[in-house]
Amino acid sequence: MTITTNPVVEREGRGQRLRAASVPYLLLLPAILALAAVSLYPTLDGLRASLHRFRYGLDMGFTGGDNFTAVYNDPVFWQAIVTTALYVILVVLIETLLGLLLALLVARELRFAGLIRVALILPMTIAPVVVGVIWRLLYASDIGVVDPLFQALGLGAPHVLAHPLSAFLGLVTVDVWEWTPLLFLIILAGLQSIPQDPIEAARVDGASGLQTFFHHTLPLLRPVLLVAVVLRTIDAVGTFDQIFVLTKGGPGTSTQLISIYAYNTAFLFNQYGRAMAMLIGVLAVLIILMMAAVRLMRRTSEAIE
Amino acid sequence: MSDKTKDTGKSKLLKRRMRRRDFIKAGAAGTALLAGSGIFAPRIVRAATGSITIGSFQDNAMVPFHEYFCKQFTVETGIAVNYNETNYDTWYQNCKNDGLNKTGAYDIYVMDDNWVPEFAAGKIVQSLDQLGLKVNPDILPAGLEMGLWPPKSGARMKDFANATPELYSLVIIDDVEILYYNKDFFPTAPVTWDDIYNVAKATKAPDMYGWSPRGVKGNPIMMTYLPLLNSYGGNFVNPDWTPGFAGPEGVGALSRLFSFIPYMPDGVAEYDTDQEVQLMLEGKCTALTEYTGLAQRVDDPSSSKVVGKIYMAATPKQVKSGPAIGTFIASVASGAKNPQGAVQFLEWFTSSATQLDFARKYGGAAVTGSALNDPEAVQKHRWLPAIADAVNNSVEKPRTPDEPKMEDILGTALNEALVEAIAQKSNYDAIAQKHLSAAADQITAYLKQQGGYF
Repeated sequence: MTITTNPVVEREGRGQRLRAASVPYLLLLPAILALAAVSLYPTLDGLRASLHRFRYGLDMGFTGGDNFTAVYNDPVFWQAIVTTALYVILVVLIETLLGLLLALLVARELRFAGLIRVALILPMTIAPVVVGVIWRLLYASDIGVVDPLFQALGLGAPHVLAHPLSAFLGLVTVDVWEWTPLLFLIILAGLQSIPQDPIEAARVDGASGLQTFFHHTLPLLRPVLLVAVVLRTIDAVGTFDQIFVLTKGGPGTSTQLISIYAYNTAFLFNQYGRAMAMLIGVLAVLIILMMAAVRLMRRTSEAIE
Repeated sequence: MSDKTKDTGKSKLLKRRMRRRDFIKAGAAGTALLAGSGIFAPRIVRAATGSITIGSFQDNAMVPFHEYFCKQFTVETGIAVNYNETNYDTWYQNCKNDGLNKTGAYDIYVMDDNWVPEFAAGKIVQSLDQLGLKVNPDILPAGLEMGLWPPKSGARMKDFANATPELYSLVIIDDVEILYYNKDFFPTAPVTWDDIYNVAKATKAPDMYGWSPRGVKGNPIMMTYLPLLNSYGGNFVNPDWTPGFAGPEGVGALSRLFSFIPYMPDGVAEYDTDQEVQLMLEGKCTALTEYTGLAQRVDDPSSSKVVGKIYMAATPKQVKSGPAIGTFIASVASGAKNPQGAVQFLEWFTSSATQLDFARKYGGAAVTGSALNDPEAVQKHRWLPAIADAVNNSVEKPRTPDEPKMEDILGTALNEALVEAIAQKSNYDAIAQKHLSAAADQITAYLKQQGGYF
C-alpha cells in the first residue's frame, strides 16, 4: 500500500511551519527597527558624512578620503588618542582591581553586607553631568574642599584643575569613584555564580587563601572579568560629560579625550565631516579590539570547560 | 557811575540775552534736525499681525528683554511674542538646524555675533536689507557692523572678496569688555596698564589681588588676552589673514599678563567668569576686565560686598584701548513664518525710544548713542558711558566661520603658556614667544587647509 500525500495539505503544512518560524522574527522586528533607527542609521550617516565636506553648515559634496587624510595629519587628534588610551587603561585597571577587592570583601557573609552594597553603588546612580558638577565644586581652588584639606595636612594646595597632570589624575579619580561600583556588581555576580566545589576542594587540600584565589577563583572568574573589562573599556572611551563639565579638555590639551575633541570639531568648529572621520576611525579600532576580546573570552570559556 | 559803565552793564545784559536767544535758536534748530531724522520718533505702531517666536540662549542680559520688552511690544503693536531660551550650546544647534532645514519654529534668532559669518553665508538667516529693515541711524556703528556679511572692513574670505556687505543681523545688546576697578584703590579711573600694575604691586594675596583673568583654555582666556593684544597694537589676524599676535606686540601683551602673576590667585589657570567675578564682588580684587553683565551685580547687596565702590572705564591702553566686542545680535530665520513681524520687532526694539527705556530702566547695554549718554540713565547707571566708549573703541574678532577653531588654537596655547609661566615665575617673554609662535603656525596651517584665505 502506498501512502500518498495531498499537495494542498502539504502546502498548507509548509505555510503553517513558515508562519510559526517567522513569529519570533516578527516579534523582534519593532525592536530591530528601533535599534536600526538609533544605532545603525546614525552610524551609516556618519560614514557618509565622513566622506563629505561641510562649510557654512552646508554639505558641500563628496570629498573622498580628504577628511581621513586631514585627521591622520592632525597632531591634536593623535594627542587626543594617546590621552584617551592612557585614561582608559588607567581607569579600567584601577576600577577592575578595586571592584574585585570590594566584591571579594562583600562576597563574604559580612555583617551589613547589604548596606555596604547599597552605599557602594550610590555613585553609579548619579547622572554623569551631576557628578561633574559635584567634583567641580570639590576641586575648585577658590571654594572647593580639596585645597583646604591638603593645606590642613601640610601638603600645600594642589589646585587640581589648574595643572595638566593633576587635572588628568583628578578626572581619573572621578571616573574611578563613579564606575568602580559597576565593576564591583559584575564581579560580585560572577563570584556568586562560580562553582564552589573546586575552591572547597583546594581548601581541604591545604591550599592557602592566596593560592586558592590565584589558582582556582581567578581562573573561574576570568570570563566575567573579561566581560567587565570589555564593557567598561567601551564606556570609558566615550567619556564625555564629566570632562566637559570639569575641564573641557584643559589645561592645554591634557584632558582632551577623543570624545571632547570630536565634539568640538563637529559642533564648535563646524567640521562635521572631519569629526565623523575621527569617530569612524576610533569605531573601527574599537570593533577590532572587541572582536579580539570576544575571541579570547570564547577560548577561555572552552579551556575552563 | 559813568554812562559807559551803565552802557557796559546794559551791553553785557544784551549780550547775555543774545547768547541765550542764540542758544534757544540753535537748540530749536538742532531739535528740528533730530526730529526730522526720526531718531526720537515715537515707537512704531502698526496694525496687529499675528505672532512671532523668538529663541535665544540663556543670559542675565536677556532678562529685561523677555520679561518686559517682549510684552511691551505686544501691548504697543498687538503682535504676540513667544519667547524660548535654552543654554548656549544647545541653542546654537537648535537654531542652526531650524535655519538649515527651514523648519520655521522661530522667527527671530538671538545669536552671538561670531555666528554671523556661518549663518549668513549658509543662508540660515535672511538678509535684513532685503526684508526692508530700516536701520536706526542712532545705533553705534561698531555694533551695527557686527551684523554685516561680508564684513565692511578687516580681513575677508576670498569667496566674498567682491560681495557687497549686507545686513544679516541687528545688534540688540552692545555687550563689550570694560574695565571694572575698585575706587578704594584708584582715586581716578586707570587709563594704562601701568596704572593697573602700580596698584597691583601694592596688593597682598590672598587678602587682595591686583588682577584676575579668566584662565581656562579657549574663549575665556582669549577674552582676557584680546584687550591686552589690541591695546599693544597687535591683531588676532591681519587684513591678509596672517596671525598678528606672534610679533613683539603679542609677546609684549602676554608678558604683561604674566607680570600680574604674583598678584593673581594661584589657580587662575582654571578660572572662568564666575570665579573672577566672585573675587571682585567680594572686594578681593582691585581691577579686572569683563563684559557688561557684571555691572548689574556690583551694587546688588545680595551678591556684592562692595556696593557703590566698583566703577567702570574703558579697558586700559598701551598704545590704544582695544576692548573685545561680543554683541547680542538678532536675525530673522530663513524659515520664519512671520518675517515682517520679526522685522517690525527688531526695528521697534532698536528704536531710540525703546533703547532709552532699556538704558534708563535697566541700565542695559543699549545699542544707541543717545541712550548710553542720556543724563538720566547715566545718573542711575554709571557704567553706561564706559560701554559707549568701549563700543566705539572696540576691535572685532575675525569674521569667518573658522573663527571658533582659530580661537581654540590660540586659547589653548595661551592656557598652556599661562600654566608654564605660573610654574616658572620668570622667563615670560620666552614662554610667550614659544607658545604664540606655535599657535600662529597652527592657525596658518589650518587656514591653508580650509582654503579661501591666502
